[in-house]
Amino acid sequence: MKFINRILIGTLVLSAFASCSSDDDTTDELMGENSITLEFDNAVGSDDLLLATSSYTNSQNETLTITRLNYIVSNFRLTNNMGEVFTYEKDDSYFVTSEETGNTEVVLENIPAGTYISVTFGIGVDQEKYLQGAEGQGDFLTVAEETNMMWSWQAGYKFLNFEGTFTSETVTEATDFKVHMGSHGSSLDNYKEVTLSLGTDALVSDEMSPIIHLVADASVILDGENKLSLSEQSVIMVSEEKSPLVALNTASMFTVDHVHNGTGDSH
Amino acid sequence: MKYLLWVLLSLFLVSCSNDYVAIENTLLTVEVPKNFPELAYDIDANPPTQLGFELGKKLFYDGKLSSNGFISCGFCHEQSSAFTHHGHQFSHGVNDLEGTRNTPSISNMAFFNEFAWDGATSHLDLFPIIPITNEVEMGETMTGVINKLIADAVYQREFEMAFEEGGVNAENFLKAISQFMVMMISSNSKYDKYKRNEEGGQLTETEAMGLTVFQQKCASCHATDLFTDGSFRNNGLPPNPQLNDLGRVEVSGSDSDKYKFKVPSLRNVSLTAPYMHDGRFGSLESVLNFYTNGMVDSETLDDSLQTQDGLGIALNDEEKEGLLAFFEILTDYTFINDERFSEY
Ligand code: HEC
Ligand code: HEC
Repeated sequence: MKFINRILIGTLVLSAFASCSSDDDTTDELMGENSITLEFDNAVGSDDLLLATSSYTNSQNETLTITRLNYIVSNFRLTNNMGEVFTYEKDDSYFVTSEETGNTEVVLENIPAGTYISVTFGIGVDQEKYLQGAEGQGDFLTVAEETNMMWSWQAGYKFLNFEGTFTSETVTEATDFKVHMGSHGSSLDNYKEVTLSLGTDALVSDEMSPIIHLVADASVILDGENKLSLSEQSVIMVSEEKSPLVALNTASMFTVDHVHNGTGDSH
Repeated sequence: MKYLLWVLLSLFLVSCSNDYVAIENTLLTVEVPKNFPELAYDIDANPPTQLGFELGKKLFYDGKLSSNGFISCGFCHEQSSAFTHHGHQFSHGVNDLEGTRNTPSISNMAFFNEFAWDGATSHLDLFPIIPITNEVEMGETMTGVINKLIADAVYQREFEMAFEEGGVNAENFLKAISQFMVMMISSNSKYDKYKRNEEGGQLTETEAMGLTVFQQKCASCHATDLFTDGSFRNNGLPPNPQLNDLGRVEVSGSDSDKYKFKVPSLRNVSLTAPYMHDGRFGSLESVLNFYTNGMVDSETLDDSLQTQDGLGIALNDEEKEGLLAFFEILTDYTFINDERFSEY
């Protein structure tokens, strides 16, 4: 009897150790489900994004004061260490993150226990969803309207609403800029997806509810892989040439900064 | 089966409270006329019901949808002129502000994939957002309209009876208006009767000649019995310098779409003056004169309108007379007098 107890305790201790290391087989012990929080920290380069406060100079020598940064993130998918993909319920998978309202957190509920290694999401609203009409949009239409993300003249969505003022060598007086990016009716689809490796495994179980901190570097929107000069065009909305470049840049502005594993209440 | 259950359920729900009498909700059938193309609208996603349709109709004619409480959809889309804004080149909205486009007819919307002259939206359900939020049309917000409806006990009850779930919300609001528009099928003109070999479909010689001319010279764009292929094209109208409406470019952002507009349906065309996206022509005679000698060339002019003989479509007087007679047989008196769609 005693002997058996020893073995039992030994096994328990061993398995406790095992669950501390992020070995591949940890999934076996993660049970149940919990939420995952994605916190979108908006930044400009390595600085915090402060709306209407700081100004930021980019590589094109344009100095921007940003007054609005809102974007739609959607269609979340999580991949675990076994390569399995968990797709979040599509109808619930559309969110507006908005620096001005401070609403920059996305909480995905009821994620099955597991060791997650990457996250995939879309920027904007895919055509499939749009073409589901009233049924597909549900309440997201009014959410978008209340956060300045409804592109009402075309009954669609702004995927990105990026506004402020700027100056440059040629534009010396502070001038408004507006970058609204979305799909162009049925003629141009600007919805993009990104997959980000988490770096640190995100562990989900009945007890574990991780927080993933993402950084969105707003400088990339105009000054990323593709360069868009505000001095040349300060209002970019439906431009067949420029809006796809904005879409590509925007999709590349996200990185995972760090992951908190734990009960989900510590940042 | 699902619908049957729902009908029973709503019966049950209604009968639980004794405030009002049991009203049965029934599915409506959307019949595709024999001479029409397939439906574009996904009926399964929003099957019209009697109560949904009636709610949609009430909303269509309710000025509450606008900021001043006065401009309804029906204000600009009048049944007697096949749901266009009779006598107005541009639409008049709140505070008497004027838009820059001519109000098109609303009929057979369930057969279309693109809406507005420039295809601003590709789903009928979402179209109402455009006039509601347009400051020169209804000047409201979706949120504002929904809140007004929530505050109205009668609407609340009607939404609950018309829809299985959700009550008053944007989704059900848009679904109801679509149900009304989806049922607005115009398919009983003399031309339709001719096509379907029905009584009253005998064409006169002039009408028959007009039809032949139309098929030869116009039906490449004004195709099928809806009289449009749904595409965006530049038919050679000289741009109006005051408006410089670029058409499809506004949506696509592509220069190759400059001055392209949706090929309009010609159903009930005798009732829908004025004509073209900016309502520049007051009569169909003027439209025909334009096609023969009013066109201007431009980079995006439709290829079919540039021939060795020059710009435009050649029509002699007799052919014009035939076409005018042909236009008359596209009028659907059943549709414009159909009480299911009328305001009062
Ligand atoms: C102020 C006048 C006005 C009001 C009010 C109005 N419309 Fe319209 N409607 C128009 C005009 C003008 C167009 C063409 C718009 C364009 O091409 O940009 C149009 C186009 C449409 C179309 C597209 C037709 C086609 O063939 O592409 C539909 C559908 C429609 N309206 C439905 C509605 C509904 C539903 C409402 C009420 C929620 C409404 N309209 C309110 C003027 C109006
Ligand atoms: C190349 C394609 C094309 C051809 C061919 C064509 N149309 Fe059109 N039609 C259009 C387009 C596009 C418009 C709308 C243009 C605009 O408003 O800018 C239009 C508009 C009209 C309108 C105005 C309808 C309204 O409600 O405002 C009438 C009437 C019309 N066409 C009749 C004809 C007739 C008759 C012919 C043959 C003689 C013809 N069309 C040939 C493309 C075409």
